[in-house]
Amino acid sequence: MTSYASYQLQDFVPFSAEVYFRLLERISESWWPLHVLSLALGIAAVVLALKNRGRLACLLIAPVWAFVALVFFRQHYAQLNWAANYIAYAFFAQAILLLLPALTGFGLSKSAAATMPGRGAVAIAMGGAIAVTGLIVQPLIALMGASGWQVQVFGIHADPTAITTLGLVLMLLRGWRVWLLAAIPLIWLLLSGLTLWVLQATAAWLLFVVLAAALSACVLLCRFLSAAGRTR
Amino acid sequence: MHHCVHRLTRRHCLKLLTAAMAAGLLPAWPGFAADSMPWQKPIGNSNNTLPVIGMGTWRTFNVGSDRQLLAARTELVKAFFALGGGLIDSSPMYGSAPDVMGYALAQLGKADSLFAAEKIWSPAGGSAREQVADLQRRWNIAQFNLLQVHNLTDWREHLAVLRELKAAGKVGYIGITTSHGRRHAEVEQIMAAEDIDFVQLTYNIAQRDAEQRLLPLAAEKGIAVIANRPYNGGSLIKNLKRRGERIPGWAAEYGCNSWAEFLLKFIVSHPAVTCAIPATTQLAHLQENMRAGLNPMPAAAARQQMARFIEAL
Ligand SMILES: NC(=O)c1ccc[n+]([C@@H]2O[C@H](COP(=O)([O-])OP(=O)(O)OC[C@H]3O[C@@H](n4cnc5c(N)ncnc54)[C@H](OP(=O)(O)O)[C@@H]3O)[C@@H](O)[C@H]2O)c1
Repeated sequence: MTSYASYQLQDFVPFSAEVYFRLLERISESWWPLHVLSLALGIAAVVLALKNRGRLACLLIAPVWAFVALVFFRQHYAQLNWAANYIAYAFFAQAILLLLPALTGFGLSKSAAATMPGRGAVAIAMGGAIAVTGLIVQPLIALMGASGWQVQVFGIHADPTAITTLGLVLMLLRGWRVWLLAAIPLIWLLLSGLTLWVLQATAAWLLFVVLAAALSACVLLCRFLSAAGRTR
Repeated sequence: MHHCVHRLTRRHCLKLLTAAMAAGLLPAWPGFAADSMPWQKPIGNSNNTLPVIGMGTWRTFNVGSDRQLLAARTELVKAFFALGGGLIDSSPMYGSAPDVMGYALAQLGKADSLFAAEKIWSPAGGSAREQVADLQRRWNIAQFNLLQVHNLTDWREHLAVLRELKAAGKVGYIGITTSHGRRHAEVEQIMAAEDIDFVQLTYNIAQRDAEQRLLPLAAEKGIAVIANRPYNGGSLIKNLKRRGERIPGWAAEYGCNSWAEFLLKFIVSHPAVTCAIPATTQLAHLQENMRAGLNPMPAAAARQQMARFIEAL
Protein backbone atom coordinates (compact mmCIF):
# COMPACT_ATOMS: atom_id res chain seq x y z
CA MET A 1 0.00 0.00 0.00
CA THR A 2 1.52 3.37 -0.92
CA SER A 3 1.73 5.89 1.83
CA TYR A 4 -0.51 8.59 0.41
CA ALA A 5 -3.05 6.38 -1.35
CA SER A 6 -3.88 4.88 2.04
CA TYR A 7 -5.13 8.20 3.42
CA GLN A 8 -8.86 8.51 3.48
CA LEU A 9 -11.11 11.48 4.11
CA GLN A 10 -12.02 9.93 7.48
CA ASP A 11 -8.43 10.40 8.62
CA PHE A 12 -8.96 14.16 8.59
CA VAL A 13 -12.16 14.33 10.64
CA PRO A 14 -11.19 13.79 14.28
CA PHE A 15 -14.68 13.75 15.82
CA SER A 16 -17.93 11.82 15.55
CA ALA A 17 -21.27 13.01 14.16
CA GLU A 18 -22.76 13.04 17.65
CA VAL A 19 -20.06 15.41 18.88
CA TYR A 20 -20.35 17.72 15.87
CA PHE A 21 -24.12 18.07 16.15
CA ARG A 22 -23.84 18.61 19.89
CA LEU A 23 -21.32 21.36 19.09
CA LEU A 24 -23.84 23.13 16.82
CA GLU A 25 -26.44 22.71 19.53
CA ARG A 26 -24.22 24.10 22.30
CA ILE A 27 -23.29 27.15 20.24
CA SER A 28 -26.99 27.80 19.61
CA GLU A 29 -27.87 27.43 23.27
CA SER A 30 -25.11 29.72 24.47
CA TRP A 31 -25.91 32.57 22.05
CA TRP A 32 -29.69 32.52 22.03
CA PRO A 33 -31.46 34.94 21.34
CA LEU A 34 -28.72 36.53 19.23
CA HIS A 35 -30.10 34.44 16.36
CA VAL A 36 -32.99 36.86 15.97
CA LEU A 37 -30.62 39.79 15.46
CA SER A 38 -28.24 37.95 13.13
CA LEU A 39 -31.12 36.66 11.02
CA ALA A 40 -32.56 40.19 10.83
CA LEU A 41 -29.14 41.43 9.70
CA GLY A 42 -29.01 38.78 6.99
CA ILE A 43 -32.50 39.58 5.73
CA ALA A 44 -31.70 43.32 5.77
CA ALA A 45 -28.53 42.66 3.75
CA VAL A 46 -30.51 40.78 1.07
CA VAL A 47 -33.13 43.54 0.88
CA LEU A 48 -30.38 46.17 0.57
CA ALA A 49 -28.71 44.12 -2.17
CA LEU A 50 -31.99 44.02 -4.09
CA LYS A 51 -32.23 47.80 -3.75
CA ASN A 52 -28.68 48.19 -5.09
CA ARG A 53 -27.35 49.40 -1.73
CA GLY A 54 -24.40 47.00 -1.92
CA ARG A 55 -22.01 48.99 0.26
CA LEU A 56 -24.37 48.94 3.21
CA ALA A 57 -25.18 45.25 2.67
CA CYS A 58 -21.46 44.38 2.81
CA LEU A 59 -20.99 46.58 5.85
CA LEU A 60 -23.71 44.66 7.67
CA ILE A 61 -22.26 41.23 7.05
CA ALA A 62 -18.52 41.93 7.52
CA PRO A 63 -18.73 41.89 11.34
CA VAL A 64 -20.84 38.72 11.17
CA TRP A 65 -17.83 36.91 9.63
CA ALA A 66 -15.54 38.17 12.38
CA PHE A 67 -18.06 36.98 14.98
CA VAL A 68 -18.30 33.50 13.41
CA ALA A 69 -14.49 33.34 13.23
CA LEU A 70 -14.20 34.10 16.90
CA VAL A 71 -17.14 32.23 18.39
CA PHE A 72 -17.82 29.33 16.03
CA PHE A 73 -14.24 28.49 15.09
CA ARG A 74 -11.92 29.73 17.81
CA GLN A 75 -14.10 29.25 20.87
CA HIS A 76 -15.87 26.05 19.88
CA TYR A 77 -14.73 24.19 16.77
CA ALA A 78 -11.03 24.54 17.72
CA GLN A 79 -11.69 22.33 20.75
CA LEU A 80 -12.34 19.47 18.36
CA ASN A 81 -9.96 20.24 15.51
CA TRP A 82 -6.79 22.32 15.75
CA ALA A 83 -7.20 23.22 12.06
CA ALA A 84 -10.22 25.36 13.02
CA ASN A 85 -7.80 28.06 14.21
CA TYR A 86 -6.59 28.44 10.64
CA ILE A 87 -10.13 28.50 9.31
CA ALA A 88 -10.83 31.27 11.82
CA TYR A 89 -8.08 33.33 10.16
CA ALA A 90 -9.76 32.76 6.80
CA PHE A 91 -13.10 33.95 8.22
CA PHE A 92 -11.42 37.07 9.65
CA ALA A 93 -9.86 37.64 6.22
CA GLN A 94 -13.32 37.40 4.65
CA ALA A 95 -14.58 40.05 7.09
CA ILE A 96 -11.83 42.36 5.88
CA LEU A 97 -12.51 41.49 2.24
CA LEU A 98 -16.15 42.44 2.75
CA LEU A 99 -15.08 45.81 4.12
CA LEU A 100 -13.45 46.57 0.76
CA PRO A 101 -16.71 46.96 -1.19
CA ALA A 102 -18.38 48.35 1.92
CA LEU A 103 -15.90 51.21 2.28
CA THR A 104 -14.76 51.81 -1.30
CA GLY A 105 -17.44 50.33 -3.54
CA PHE A 106 -14.79 47.95 -4.93
CA GLY A 107 -16.24 45.51 -7.45
CA LEU A 108 -19.87 46.47 -6.85
CA SER A 109 -22.22 46.48 -9.81
CA LYS A 110 -23.48 49.85 -10.97
CA SER A 111 -26.85 48.63 -12.10
CA ALA A 112 -29.56 47.37 -9.79
CA ALA A 113 -29.65 43.60 -9.58
CA ALA A 114 -33.19 43.43 -10.91
CA THR A 115 -32.23 45.24 -14.12
CA MET A 116 -29.36 42.96 -15.24
CA PRO A 117 -29.83 41.49 -18.68
CA GLY A 118 -29.37 37.91 -19.88
CA ARG A 119 -26.88 35.60 -18.22
CA GLY A 120 -26.13 38.20 -15.57
CA ALA A 121 -29.76 38.20 -14.52
CA VAL A 122 -29.76 34.42 -14.26
CA ALA A 123 -26.64 34.49 -12.08
CA ILE A 124 -28.12 37.18 -9.87
CA ALA A 125 -31.37 35.27 -9.51
CA MET A 126 -29.27 32.27 -8.49
CA GLY A 127 -27.50 34.50 -5.97
CA GLY A 128 -30.85 35.53 -4.50
CA ALA A 129 -31.98 31.94 -4.27
CA ILE A 130 -28.72 30.94 -2.59
CA ALA A 131 -29.01 33.78 -0.07
CA VAL A 132 -32.57 32.73 0.78
CA THR A 133 -31.36 29.13 1.11
CA GLY A 134 -28.81 30.20 3.71
CA LEU A 135 -31.26 32.36 5.62
CA ILE A 136 -34.42 30.28 5.52
CA VAL A 137 -34.34 27.03 3.52
CA GLN A 138 -31.38 25.40 5.27
CA PRO A 139 -32.76 26.05 8.79
CA LEU A 140 -36.19 24.77 7.70
CA ILE A 141 -34.75 21.56 6.24
CA ALA A 142 -32.69 21.05 9.40
CA LEU A 143 -35.79 21.57 11.56
CA MET A 144 -37.40 18.58 9.89
CA GLY A 145 -34.64 16.20 10.93
CA ALA A 146 -33.08 17.58 14.09
CA SER A 147 -33.80 19.12 17.43
CA GLY A 148 -34.42 22.89 17.39
CA TRP A 149 -31.04 23.77 18.85
CA GLN A 150 -29.23 21.87 16.11
CA VAL A 151 -30.66 24.21 13.48
CA GLN A 152 -27.88 26.37 12.07
CA VAL A 153 -28.50 30.08 11.76
CA PHE A 154 -26.86 32.82 9.69
CA GLY A 155 -24.40 34.80 11.78
CA ILE A 156 -24.11 32.12 14.47
CA HIS A 157 -23.00 29.06 12.51
CA ALA A 158 -20.54 28.84 9.65
CA ASP A 159 -22.56 27.04 6.94
CA PRO A 160 -25.55 29.41 6.66
CA THR A 161 -23.21 32.39 6.99
CA ALA A 162 -21.13 31.15 4.06
CA ILE A 163 -24.21 30.26 1.96
CA THR A 164 -25.98 33.59 2.52
CA THR A 165 -22.79 35.56 1.87
CA LEU A 166 -22.18 33.66 -1.36
CA GLY A 167 -25.67 34.62 -2.47
CA LEU A 168 -25.03 38.27 -1.63
CA VAL A 169 -21.68 38.30 -3.41
CA LEU A 170 -23.35 36.93 -6.53
CA MET A 171 -26.06 39.56 -6.30
CA LEU A 172 -23.67 42.46 -5.76
CA LEU A 173 -20.30 41.93 -7.42
CA ARG A 174 -19.10 41.57 -10.98
CA GLY A 175 -16.11 40.14 -12.83
CA TRP A 176 -13.05 38.63 -11.15
CA ARG A 177 -13.94 40.36 -7.91
CA VAL A 178 -16.74 37.83 -7.55
CA TRP A 179 -14.08 35.12 -7.23
CA LEU A 180 -12.13 37.17 -4.71
CA LEU A 181 -15.08 37.47 -2.36
CA ALA A 182 -16.57 34.06 -3.11
CA ALA A 183 -13.38 32.03 -2.65
CA ILE A 184 -13.43 31.67 1.14
CA PRO A 185 -17.16 30.85 1.42
CA LEU A 186 -16.79 28.34 -1.45
CA ILE A 187 -13.77 26.65 0.16
CA TRP A 188 -15.56 26.49 3.50
CA LEU A 189 -18.66 24.91 1.91
CA LEU A 190 -16.44 22.30 0.28
CA LEU A 191 -14.68 21.49 3.58
CA SER A 192 -17.92 21.46 5.52
CA GLY A 193 -19.68 19.34 2.90
CA LEU A 194 -16.85 16.79 2.98
CA THR A 195 -16.91 16.75 6.78
CA LEU A 196 -20.66 16.11 6.85
CA TRP A 197 -20.21 13.44 4.19
CA VAL A 198 -17.61 11.64 6.33
CA LEU A 199 -20.00 11.93 9.27
CA GLN A 200 -22.68 10.39 7.03
CA ALA A 201 -24.96 13.37 7.57
CA THR A 202 -27.58 13.91 4.87
CA ALA A 203 -27.11 17.69 5.21
CA ALA A 204 -23.93 17.28 3.11
CA TRP A 205 -25.92 17.14 -0.11
CA LEU A 206 -27.40 20.63 0.40
CA LEU A 207 -23.91 22.10 0.72
CA PHE A 208 -22.76 20.34 -2.45
CA VAL A 209 -25.83 21.57 -4.38
CA VAL A 210 -25.22 25.15 -3.21
CA LEU A 211 -21.54 24.80 -4.06
CA ALA A 212 -22.31 23.63 -7.60
CA ALA A 213 -24.92 26.36 -8.12
CA ALA A 214 -22.64 29.08 -6.76
CA LEU A 215 -19.71 27.95 -8.89
CA SER A 216 -21.85 28.02 -12.06
CA ALA A 217 -23.19 31.47 -11.14
CA CYS A 218 -19.63 32.75 -10.54
CA VAL A 219 -18.62 31.53 -14.01
CA LEU A 220 -21.68 33.15 -15.58
CA LEU A 221 -20.97 36.46 -13.87
CA CYS A 222 -17.33 36.45 -14.96
CA ARG A 223 -18.39 35.84 -18.54
CA PHE A 224 -20.96 38.59 -18.15
CA LEU A 225 -18.14 41.01 -17.38
CA SER A 226 -16.46 40.41 -20.73
CA ALA A 227 -19.79 40.79 -22.54
CA ALA A 228 -21.22 43.78 -20.74
CA GLY A 229 -18.73 44.50 -17.98
CA ARG A 230 -19.40 47.70 -16.18
CA THR A 231 -18.01 47.89 -12.71
CA ARG A 232 -16.96 50.79 -10.67
CA MET B 1 10.21 5.46 38.56
CA HIS B 2 6.77 4.10 39.12
CA HIS B 3 5.68 2.88 35.76
CA CYS B 4 3.60 -0.02 34.52
CA VAL B 5 3.06 -1.79 37.79
CA HIS B 6 0.96 -4.43 36.17
CA ARG B 7 1.95 -7.66 37.79
CA LEU B 8 -1.41 -9.18 38.53
CA THR B 9 -1.56 -10.12 42.16
CA ARG B 10 -4.46 -11.79 43.94
CA ARG B 11 -5.03 -8.51 45.79
CA HIS B 12 -5.14 -6.64 42.51
CA CYS B 13 -7.70 -9.13 41.17
CA LEU B 14 -9.93 -8.69 44.17
CA LYS B 15 -9.59 -4.92 44.01
CA LEU B 16 -10.58 -4.92 40.35
CA LEU B 17 -13.44 -7.29 41.01
CA THR B 18 -14.80 -5.09 43.76
CA ALA B 19 -14.47 -2.04 41.54
CA ALA B 20 -16.29 -3.84 38.73
CA MET B 21 -19.09 -4.79 41.08
CA ALA B 22 -19.31 -1.23 42.31
CA ALA B 23 -19.50 -0.03 38.71
CA GLY B 24 -22.49 -2.33 38.21
CA LEU B 25 -20.78 -4.11 35.35
CA LEU B 26 -20.80 -7.68 36.53
CA PRO B 27 -24.43 -8.61 35.96
CA ALA B 28 -23.79 -8.26 32.23
CA TRP B 29 -21.05 -10.86 32.56
CA PRO B 30 -22.45 -14.20 33.60
CA GLY B 31 -19.73 -16.55 34.67
CA PHE B 32 -17.44 -13.75 35.76
CA ALA B 33 -15.16 -14.99 38.50
CA ALA B 34 -12.18 -13.67 40.40
CA ASP B 35 -9.83 -15.80 38.34
CA SER B 36 -11.22 -14.46 35.05
CA MET B 37 -9.42 -11.17 34.90
CA PRO B 38 -7.92 -9.90 31.63
CA TRP B 39 -4.93 -11.76 30.36
CA GLN B 40 -1.69 -9.83 30.84
CA LYS B 41 1.34 -10.04 28.61
CA PRO B 42 4.90 -9.00 29.38
CA ILE B 43 6.14 -5.71 27.97
CA GLY B 44 8.94 -6.83 25.71
CA ASN B 45 11.52 -8.73 27.70
CA SER B 46 10.68 -7.02 30.98
CA ASN B 47 8.83 -8.44 33.97
CA ASN B 48 6.18 -5.77 33.74
CA THR B 49 2.91 -6.68 32.09
CA LEU B 50 -0.04 -5.05 30.38
CA PRO B 51 -3.65 -6.22 30.09
CA VAL B 52 -4.09 -7.35 26.48
CA ILE B 53 -7.04 -5.06 25.85
CA GLY B 54 -6.35 -1.34 26.06
CA MET B 55 -8.34 1.59 24.73
CA GLY B 56 -7.83 4.08 21.89
CA THR B 57 -9.21 7.63 21.95
CA TRP B 58 -9.12 8.75 18.28
CA ARG B 59 -12.51 10.37 17.53
CA THR B 60 -14.23 8.77 20.49
CA PHE B 61 -12.74 11.01 23.20
CA ASN B 62 -12.68 14.26 21.25
CA VAL B 63 -15.79 15.80 22.82
CA GLY B 64 -14.49 19.28 23.68
CA SER B 65 -16.11 20.95 26.68
CA ASP B 66 -19.47 19.22 26.20
CA ARG B 67 -20.53 18.42 29.78
CA GLN B 68 -22.94 15.68 28.82
CA LEU B 69 -20.36 13.86 26.69
CA LEU B 70 -17.57 14.49 29.23
CA ALA B 71 -19.68 12.68 31.81
CA ALA B 72 -20.35 9.83 29.38
CA ARG B 73 -16.64 9.38 28.57
CA THR B 74 -15.78 9.51 32.28
CA GLU B 75 -18.18 6.59 32.81
CA LEU B 76 -16.40 4.75 30.02
CA VAL B 77 -12.98 5.26 31.63
CA LYS B 78 -14.39 4.17 34.98
CA ALA B 79 -15.74 0.97 33.45
CA PHE B 80 -12.48 0.38 31.59
CA PHE B 81 -10.50 0.37 34.82
CA ALA B 82 -13.16 -1.57 36.67
CA LEU B 83 -12.85 -4.29 34.05
CA GLY B 84 -9.09 -4.45 34.45
CA GLY B 85 -8.07 -2.15 31.59
CA GLY B 86 -4.60 -0.64 31.50
CA LEU B 87 -3.28 1.13 28.43
CA ILE B 88 -5.05 4.23 27.13
CA ASP B 89 -3.60 5.73 23.95
CA SER B 90 -4.01 9.31 22.80
CA SER B 91 -2.27 11.97 20.73
CA PRO B 92 -2.07 15.74 20.33
CA MET B 93 -3.63 15.01 16.93
CA TYR B 94 -6.88 13.86 18.58
CA GLY B 95 -8.30 17.30 19.37
CA SER B 96 -9.54 17.51 22.93
CA ALA B 97 -9.01 13.79 23.73
CA PRO B 98 -6.06 14.46 26.10
CA ASP B 99 -8.14 17.09 27.94
CA VAL B 100 -11.07 14.70 28.16
CA MET B 101 -8.77 12.07 29.66
CA GLY B 102 -7.59 14.71 32.13
CA TYR B 103 -11.19 15.49 33.03
CA ALA B 104 -12.04 11.82 33.53
CA LEU B 105 -8.95 11.17 35.66
CA ALA B 106 -9.65 14.23 37.79
CA GLN B 107 -13.17 12.91 38.43
CA LEU B 108 -12.15 9.32 39.05
CA GLY B 109 -8.72 9.66 40.57
CA LYS B 110 -5.76 8.04 38.86
CA ALA B 111 -6.24 4.28 38.67
CA ASP B 112 -3.29 2.10 39.65
CA SER B 113 -3.63 0.15 36.45
CA LEU B 114 -3.48 3.21 34.14
CA PHE B 115 -0.75 2.91 31.55
CA ALA B 116 -0.87 6.32 29.90
CA ALA B 117 0.41 6.34 26.33
CA GLU B 118 0.85 9.61 24.45
CA LYS B 119 2.52 10.78 21.27
CA ILE B 120 4.72 13.51 19.91
CA TRP B 121 3.32 14.83 16.66
CA SER B 122 5.19 17.54 14.79
CA PRO B 123 2.19 19.39 13.28
CA ALA B 124 0.93 20.08 16.82
CA GLY B 125 3.78 22.62 17.10
CA GLY B 126 6.34 23.25 19.81
CA SER B 127 9.33 21.13 20.73
CA ALA B 128 8.97 17.52 21.88
CA ARG B 129 9.61 18.59 25.48
CA GLU B 130 6.98 21.32 25.23
CA GLN B 131 4.49 18.84 23.82
CA VAL B 132 5.16 16.39 26.64
CA ALA B 133 4.77 19.09 29.30
CA ASP B 134 1.56 20.32 27.68
CA LEU B 135 0.13 16.79 27.41
CA GLN B 136 0.97 15.99 31.04
CA ARG B 137 -0.92 19.12 32.08
CA ARG B 138 -3.85 18.18 29.84
CA TRP B 139 -4.02 14.60 31.14
CA ASN B 140 -3.58 15.89 34.66
CA ILE B 141 -0.81 13.38 35.41
CA ALA B 142 2.81 13.72 36.52
CA GLN B 143 4.25 11.61 33.75
CA PHE B 144 3.42 9.19 30.98
CA ASN B 145 4.21 5.50 30.92
CA LEU B 146 4.84 5.56 27.19
CA LEU B 147 5.73 8.29 24.71
CA GLN B 148 5.61 7.48 21.01
CA VAL B 149 6.59 9.37 17.89
CA HIS B 150 3.30 9.67 16.03
CA ASN B 151 3.39 8.46 12.44
CA LEU B 152 7.18 8.79 12.36
CA THR B 153 7.00 12.61 12.12
CA ASP B 154 10.58 13.92 12.53
CA TRP B 155 11.32 10.64 14.27
CA ARG B 156 15.09 11.11 14.51
CA GLU B 157 14.83 14.40 16.43
CA HIS B 158 11.90 13.28 18.57
CA LEU B 159 13.34 9.87 19.44
CA ALA B 160 16.56 11.53 20.59
CA VAL B 161 14.58 13.72 23.01
CA LEU B 162 12.43 10.82 24.18
CA ARG B 163 15.58 8.83 24.89
CA GLU B 164 16.85 11.67 27.09
CA LEU B 165 13.53 11.82 28.92
CA LYS B 166 13.67 8.09 29.53
CA ALA B 167 17.24 8.26 30.79
CA ALA B 168 16.16 11.02 33.19
CA GLY B 169 13.33 8.82 34.46
CA LYS B 170 10.67 11.14 33.06
CA VAL B 171 8.94 8.44 31.03
CA GLY B 172 8.80 4.67 31.34
CA TYR B 173 8.98 3.57 27.74
CA ILE B 174 9.42 5.07 24.30
CA GLY B 175 8.33 4.01 20.85
CA ILE B 176 7.05 4.86 17.40
CA THR B 177 3.69 4.52 15.67
CA THR B 178 2.33 3.94 12.22
CA SER B 179 -1.05 2.77 10.95
CA HIS B 180 -2.96 1.51 7.91
CA GLY B 181 0.15 -0.45 6.84
CA ARG B 182 2.01 2.76 6.01
CA ARG B 183 5.82 3.01 5.81
CA HIS B 184 6.51 -0.48 7.08
CA ALA B 185 9.97 -0.56 5.50
CA GLU B 186 10.98 2.53 7.46
CA VAL B 187 9.38 1.19 10.64
CA GLU B 188 11.38 -1.99 10.18
CA GLN B 189 14.63 -0.04 9.84
CA ILE B 190 13.90 1.94 13.00
CA MET B 191 13.01 -1.21 14.92
CA ALA B 192 16.21 -2.85 13.78
CA ALA B 193 18.54 0.08 14.38
CA GLU B 194 17.08 2.11 17.26
CA ASP B 195 16.62 1.33 20.89
CA ILE B 196 12.84 1.47 21.30
CA ASP B 197 10.50 -0.33 23.70
CA PHE B 198 7.23 -0.15 21.78
CA VAL B 199 5.97 -0.13 18.24
CA GLN B 200 2.35 0.70 17.45
CA LEU B 201 0.97 -0.49 14.12
CA THR B 202 -2.23 -1.60 12.47
CA TYR B 203 -2.86 -5.30 12.86
CA ASN B 204 -6.24 -6.95 12.58
CA ILE B 205 -7.78 -10.00 10.95
CA ALA B 206 -8.36 -8.11 7.69
CA GLN B 207 -5.03 -6.29 7.62
CA ARG B 208 -2.21 -8.67 8.38
CA ASP B 209 0.82 -7.16 6.58
CA ALA B 210 2.63 -6.82 9.91
CA GLU B 211 2.82 -10.61 10.18
CA GLN B 212 5.39 -10.69 7.40
CA ARG B 213 8.29 -8.80 8.93
CA LEU B 214 7.36 -6.39 11.71
CA LEU B 215 5.84 -8.82 14.22
CA PRO B 216 8.66 -11.37 13.91
CA LEU B 217 11.20 -8.56 14.28
CA ALA B 218 9.39 -7.21 17.34
CA ALA B 219 9.47 -10.67 18.93
CA GLU B 220 13.13 -11.09 18.10
CA LYS B 221 14.11 -7.70 19.54
CA GLY B 222 11.79 -7.78 22.53
CA ILE B 223 9.80 -4.76 21.33
CA ALA B 224 6.28 -4.58 22.71
CA VAL B 225 3.55 -4.25 20.05
CA ILE B 226 0.35 -2.20 20.32
CA ALA B 227 -2.17 -3.16 17.64
CA ASN B 228 -4.15 -0.09 16.56
CA ARG B 229 -7.30 -0.06 14.42
CA PRO B 230 -8.25 -3.54 15.64
CA TYR B 231 -11.62 -3.17 13.91
CA ASN B 232 -10.15 -1.38 10.90
CA GLY B 233 -11.59 1.86 12.18
CA GLY B 234 -14.91 0.20 13.07
CA SER B 235 -15.99 -1.01 9.63
CA LEU B 236 -14.85 -4.58 10.29
CA ILE B 237 -17.03 -5.24 13.31
CA LYS B 238 -19.89 -2.97 12.33
CA ASN B 239 -20.26 -4.70 8.94
CA LEU B 240 -20.20 -8.16 10.52
CA LYS B 241 -22.84 -7.10 13.02
CA ARG B 242 -24.99 -5.25 10.47
CA ARG B 243 -25.00 -8.21 8.11
CA GLY B 244 -25.98 -10.44 10.99
CA GLU B 245 -23.06 -12.79 10.30
CA ARG B 246 -22.97 -15.68 12.75
CA ILE B 247 -19.88 -16.49 14.77
CA PRO B 248 -18.78 -20.03 13.85
CA GLY B 249 -19.65 -22.58 16.51
CA TRP B 250 -16.09 -23.89 16.79
CA ALA B 251 -14.87 -20.46 17.96
CA ALA B 252 -16.77 -20.86 21.24
CA GLU B 253 -13.97 -23.18 22.33
CA TYR B 254 -11.71 -20.11 22.47
CA GLY B 255 -14.29 -18.02 24.28
CA CYS B 256 -15.48 -16.22 21.13
CA ASN B 257 -19.15 -15.59 21.76
CA SER B 258 -19.27 -12.16 20.15
CA TRP B 259 -17.60 -10.62 17.11
CA ALA B 260 -15.63 -8.38 19.45
CA GLU B 261 -14.14 -11.44 21.13
CA PHE B 262 -13.50 -13.16 17.81
CA LEU B 263 -11.70 -10.18 16.27
CA LEU B 264 -9.75 -9.05 19.32
CA LYS B 265 -8.72 -12.51 20.49
CA PHE B 266 -7.32 -13.12 17.01
CA ILE B 267 -5.08 -10.06 17.44
CA VAL B 268 -3.89 -10.44 21.00
CA SER B 269 -3.23 -14.16 20.70
CA HIS B 270 -0.46 -13.43 18.21
CA PRO B 271 2.67 -14.14 20.26
CA ALA B 272 4.32 -10.87 19.28
CA VAL B 273 1.34 -8.62 20.07
CA THR B 274 1.23 -7.09 23.54
CA CYS B 275 -2.17 -5.43 23.40
CA ALA B 276 -4.93 -4.16 21.12
CA ILE B 277 -6.53 -0.74 21.62
CA PRO B 278 -10.12 -0.64 20.34
CA ALA B 279 -11.80 2.76 20.64
CA THR B 280 -15.46 3.11 21.52
CA THR B 281 -18.10 5.55 22.72
CA GLN B 282 -20.46 2.82 23.96
CA LEU B 283 -20.39 1.18 27.35
CA ALA B 284 -21.87 -2.04 25.95
CA HIS B 285 -19.12 -2.16 23.31
CA LEU B 286 -16.45 -1.54 25.93
CA GLN B 287 -17.77 -4.45 27.98
CA GLU B 288 -17.69 -6.71 24.92
CA ASN B 289 -14.19 -5.56 24.06
CA MET B 290 -12.85 -6.08 27.57
CA ARG B 291 -14.31 -9.56 27.65
CA ALA B 292 -12.03 -10.43 24.74
CA GLY B 293 -9.11 -10.15 27.14
CA LEU B 294 -10.25 -13.19 29.11
CA ASN B 295 -8.80 -16.63 28.55
CA PRO B 296 -9.06 -19.00 26.71
CA MET B 297 -7.23 -17.74 23.65
CA PRO B 298 -6.86 -19.41 20.25
CA ALA B 299 -3.54 -21.04 19.44
CA ALA B 300 -1.72 -20.87 16.09
CA ALA B 301 -3.88 -23.41 14.22
CA ALA B 302 -7.10 -21.86 15.48
CA ARG B 303 -5.88 -18.42 14.48
CA GLN B 304 -5.36 -19.68 10.92
CA GLN B 305 -8.87 -21.09 10.92
CA MET B 306 -10.25 -17.76 12.13
CA ALA B 307 -8.44 -15.84 9.38
CA ARG B 308 -9.68 -18.28 6.72
CA PHE B 309 -13.22 -17.96 8.01
CA ILE B 310 -13.17 -14.15 7.67
CA GLU B 311 -11.52 -14.33 4.24
CA ALA B 312 -14.29 -16.64 3.03
CA LEU B 313 -17.09 -14.29 4.11
N1 LIG C 1 -0.84 6.34 13.77
C1 LIG C 1 -1.33 6.10 14.95
O1 LIG C 1 -0.66 6.29 15.94
C2 LIG C 1 -2.73 5.57 15.08
C3 LIG C 1 -3.53 5.43 13.94
C4 LIG C 1 -4.80 4.89 14.09
C5 LIG C 1 -5.27 4.56 15.36
N2 LIG C 1 -4.49 4.74 16.47
C6 LIG C 1 -4.97 4.39 17.82
O2 LIG C 1 -5.66 3.17 17.75
C7 LIG C 1 -6.97 3.31 18.29
C8 LIG C 1 -7.94 2.38 17.63
O3 LIG C 1 -8.10 2.66 16.26
P1 LIG C 1 -9.40 3.37 15.67
O4 LIG C 1 -10.07 4.13 16.74
O5 LIG C 1 -8.99 4.12 14.46
O6 LIG C 1 -10.29 2.18 15.15
P2 LIG C 1 -10.94 0.87 15.80
O7 LIG C 1 -10.62 0.76 17.25
O8 LIG C 1 -10.57 -0.25 14.91
O9 LIG C 1 -12.49 1.14 15.62
C9 LIG C 1 -13.16 2.10 16.35
C10 LIG C 1 -14.62 2.02 16.00
O10 LIG C 1 -15.10 0.72 16.31
C11 LIG C 1 -16.36 0.81 16.93
N3 LIG C 1 -16.44 -0.24 17.97
C12 LIG C 1 -15.60 -0.43 19.02
N4 LIG C 1 -15.99 -1.51 19.71
C13 LIG C 1 -17.08 -2.02 19.10
C14 LIG C 1 -17.93 -3.12 19.35
N5 LIG C 1 -17.71 -3.95 20.37
N6 LIG C 1 -18.98 -3.32 18.52
C15 LIG C 1 -19.20 -2.49 17.48
N7 LIG C 1 -18.42 -1.43 17.18
C16 LIG C 1 -17.38 -1.20 18.00
C17 LIG C 1 -16.43 2.17 17.57
O11 LIG C 1 -17.75 2.67 17.45
P3 LIG C 1 -18.68 2.82 18.77
O12 LIG C 1 -18.30 4.13 19.36
O13 LIG C 1 -20.05 2.78 18.21
O14 LIG C 1 -18.36 1.66 19.65
C18 LIG C 1 -15.47 3.00 16.72
O15 LIG C 1 -16.17 3.74 15.77
C19 LIG C 1 -7.27 4.79 18.06
O16 LIG C 1 -8.35 5.25 18.83
C20 LIG C 1 -5.94 5.41 18.38
O17 LIG C 1 -5.78 5.56 19.78
C21 LIG C 1 -3.22 5.23 16.33
